[in-house]
Amino acid sequence: MTSEDLIDQLAADVPPVRRNALGWRLGLGLGLGVLASMLALSMSFGFRPDLWLAMHGATIWMKWGYTASLGICALVATAKLARPESRSLGWLWVALVPFAGLALMSVAELARAPSEHWLAMWLGASWKVCSTLVFVYALPIFAGLLWSFRRMAPTRLRAAGATAGLAAGAWSATVYCLHCPEVSAIFVLTWYTLGIALAALFGAIVGPRLLRW
Amino acid sequence: MITSENQLRMWMVGGLGGDSAAHGRLLRALLPLLRRYYRRRMPGQDDAIEDLVQETLIAVHTRRGTYDPARPFTAWLHAIARYKMIDAFRRTGRTVPIEGMEDLLVTEGFEDASNAEADLDRLLAGLSPKQAAAIRATRIEGLSTAEAAARQQIGESDLKISVHRGLKALATRVKNSLL
Repeated sequence: MTSEDLIDQLAADVPPVRRNALGWRLGLGLGLGVLASMLALSMSFGFRPDLWLAMHGATIWMKWGYTASLGICALVATAKLARPESRSLGWLWVALVPFAGLALMSVAELARAPSEHWLAMWLGASWKVCSTLVFVYALPIFAGLLWSFRRMAPTRLRAAGATAGLAAGAWSATVYCLHCPEVSAIFVLTWYTLGIALAALFGAIVGPRLLRW
Repeated sequence: MITSENQLRMWMVGGLGGDSAAHGRLLRALLPLLRRYYRRRMPGQDDAIEDLVQETLIAVHTRRGTYDPARPFTAWLHAIARYKMIDAFRRTGRTVPIEGMEDLLVTEGFEDASNAEADLDRLLAGLSPKQAAAIRATRIEGLSTAEAAARQQIGESDLKISVHRGLKALATRVKNSLL
């Protein structure tokens, strides 16, 4: 009896759902998060003054190529885990391709440079803050994804939290490139990846609490 | 009594397109399916089962955007039903009484707890008394829907809806206060 009443009330309010509503909502949450993250960056450390010039060079595209491809892989995995019946992490292993690519570039770069420069290339000028900042600017993006998840139905909360954190970290690193003047591949491979991994770890820790529904 | 996968999927797709009649037919057809699903897995817990059935129906309604029409409907439904069952086990597991809890509270973080309670009172005060009482009974005291409905002397679905709407209103309020 009572369940029938519930059904009547639910069926009284049936707005249409657009095709691929899940993708749209994830994209919107991510986009708003990225905007918030960019705003936070511009108000704290600011964009690098030579950004326009840097965009004509190859280095910033090497960095963006790495972070954005990680971000796309993580977002696809997150979209999969947002559906209740998905049990697999999908093709998240594809994320190893940009990682391996950047590792190869790092080796090639180190091989070209004299060994006394290696430490300076690895640590750059900002290794102490880079990972932390990538993690911090990932938080607004993670919040945006949490908003997206309010209409999702993840059943593997820790995995979904981890991939959402990974996506937030990777897109945060993409935003952070607007500020970061570092040029060596080994720097990005180490400190960017560390910040992104921290964000994924954070997502895995808070996922089971914040993604419950 | 048990509707075919194809029929269910057609109704679901209709509901996604905004057809409320199809959506109503779908939810009604899910009722016996879900009851059977939970009875098989939780024999002899009829109150809890009806709660779960209703929670699952609400989830099917509010999270229908996660259904991909290219995929089987029943697999999607069962995944939600299974999640709701595990979540219910987890929740009831949490309300097991712990001996000497008062002593623990006094020595460890009682003040934090009472502050949290004050925050909670303030949030719930913004809702209608009926919604606040419904949320307090089911989500904070951990009563079943049947117990809470009997205490408030309202129907179970009425209570369910109150909880659902109240939580929605709270979420909006919290979100707005964060913006």
